Amino acid sequence: MWGYPEPISRLVEQFMKLPGIGPKTAARLAFFAMGMTDEDIRDFAKALIDVKEKLHECAICCNITEESPCSICQDGSRLDSVLCVVQDPKDVLAMERTREFNGRYHVLHGAISPMEGIGPADIRIRELLSRIAESDVSEVILATNPNVEGEATAMYISRLLKPFSINVTRIAHGLPVGGDLEYADEVTLAKALEGRRAL
Amino acid sequence: MYIKRVCLKDFRNYELQELDLSAGTNILLGENAQGKTNALEAMYLLAVGKSHRTNHDLDLVRFNQPVAQVDANLVVHGREQAVSVRIGSTGKRATVNGVAQSKMTQFVGRFQVVLFAPEDLALVKGAPGLRRRFLDVELAQTQSAYLHHLSRYSKILAQRNSFLKRDLLDEALLDTLDEQLVQSGVEVIVRRLRFLHKLRGFAADTYKAVSDGRERLRIDYVSNVAEAQISENPDPMRLNESFYKTLVAKRASDRHHGFTSIGPHRDDLLFHLDDKPVHGFASQGQQRSIALALRLAEIDFIHDEVGEFPVLLLDDVLSELDDVRQTGLVLSMSDKVQTVITTTSLYHLERQLKADGNLFEVQSGIIQRRG
Repeated sequence: MWGYPEPISRLVEQFMKLPGIGPKTAARLAFFAMGMTDEDIRDFAKALIDVKEKLHECAICCNITEESPCSICQDGSRLDSVLCVVQDPKDVLAMERTREFNGRYHVLHGAISPMEGIGPADIRIRELLSRIAESDVSEVILATNPNVEGEATAMYISRLLKPFSINVTRIAHGLPVGGDLEYADEVTLAKALEGRRAL
Repeated sequence: MYIKRVCLKDFRNYELQELDLSAGTNILLGENAQGKTNALEAMYLLAVGKSHRTNHDLDLVRFNQPVAQVDANLVVHGREQAVSVRIGSTGKRATVNGVAQSKMTQFVGRFQVVLFAPEDLALVKGAPGLRRRFLDVELAQTQSAYLHHLSRYSKILAQRNSFLKRDLLDEALLDTLDEQLVQSGVEVIVRRLRFLHKLRGFAADTYKAVSDGRERLRIDYVSNVAEAQISENPDPMRLNESFYKTLVAKRASDRHHGFTSIGPHRDDLLFHLDDKPVHGFASQGQQRSIALALRLAEIDFIHDEVGEFPVLLLDDVLSELDDVRQTGLVLSMSDKVQTVITTTSLYHLERQLKADGNLFEVQSGIIQRRG
């Protein structure tokens, strides 16, 4: 029976290691790569290698960066007193896009989930605690995801921060801005009602 | 509310089957293993979002086919809606009037059914899981938030059990998981207690009718959480405290067993006849009467909650009800409720046929109208 030549099947296997890629898509990508110019292929390969070799975790905030400390940690115009804790580097980008936050970040690289074998020691909580102990942070904003694992992580961190007597806050959840009340599902609406505030 | 039309595609043993139903009585007549219950299962799926017989959705797909689909036209509060549920290897998807629903929890609750099947006779004396399932299905149908809290609770429970199994030593993490578990668990318990408060009233009446007033039926909620008493207005704060306290007290043994022993996932219902717990003594006939009374009470409960009667699905239960009065009671429902009955014989059903009844014959996955 005829199979793919060895280099192609190897490439297909590599693509299949990526999230969301099955055998069909992997084969399609591999054959597409065959048709790319030499230069494009070299750039592609180099980009892959660079992402591993050139990126490190920032020694302060644990975000991914080329230089450590990262540009946000080095930025003298930011407030040292407010620290926003997020799950992933992608969340820093999302927060930065708002242009509303001028404090510092801490990236956990995950959320606590005993089912998946992820305990507090597997994410950057220890780093967060020693960072808070050493600096004069007055508020910690917990911006983990509003699902079971993200909530557990936020609640766990807030427990650990009790002895520090600093202000610990959790980002609000509820209605999307610009949405209509009638289209919100009952659970979201109930949450929004719970988190109402005085005007 | 009623089902106007239902269409099954590659569902169980049906290849392609359309069925136009009357708003009154519909009888599916056929030998065993021809597909009568499968048709009821499809109608149940439209209301509850899953089968009453299996937790594996792929069991619903016809042999060697990729996708099963149930389309239906429902009339709810006088308005016709086109709904559809598709089941394939990538999961389950529902649409309402052509609009895809992002989650099944969003779909469930727009339409209600009450199913009475022979398995119900095990409800009274069978495993506690059956009675919890009864609670969960009824609540999910009438309150969409319940399903959300229940699935959240199950997830936190799984996290806590994983923690216990791995025997991690982090007390602060266990405290966190306990806090989460209690929060969600109380949401579940509060809704169950409120539901039971209402259902208990209806069930006392229906039981009286079913048993000819011979005995009084009482339902209790049995929980390790001391404050969990059936009430119209359960106090979440006190439940919270009592749940947390018991959870902490059982911590050592939970750690030892690697399993959470406290919470709504272990709770149960207890039935009493004239203040005697049914567990020990109830006869087959009494168990049957209780099961029937509960189903009839559900009809009243749903009417009270959503302002309209649900659809009643009777899966081959007429042969189980040997009592003429009980049979009459069930059949009289079809005066106010759309009823779909599966049966192997037309015995008892003459009156229904003479009225506005539809008669269908079911044979090897093909349904044909006969009257």
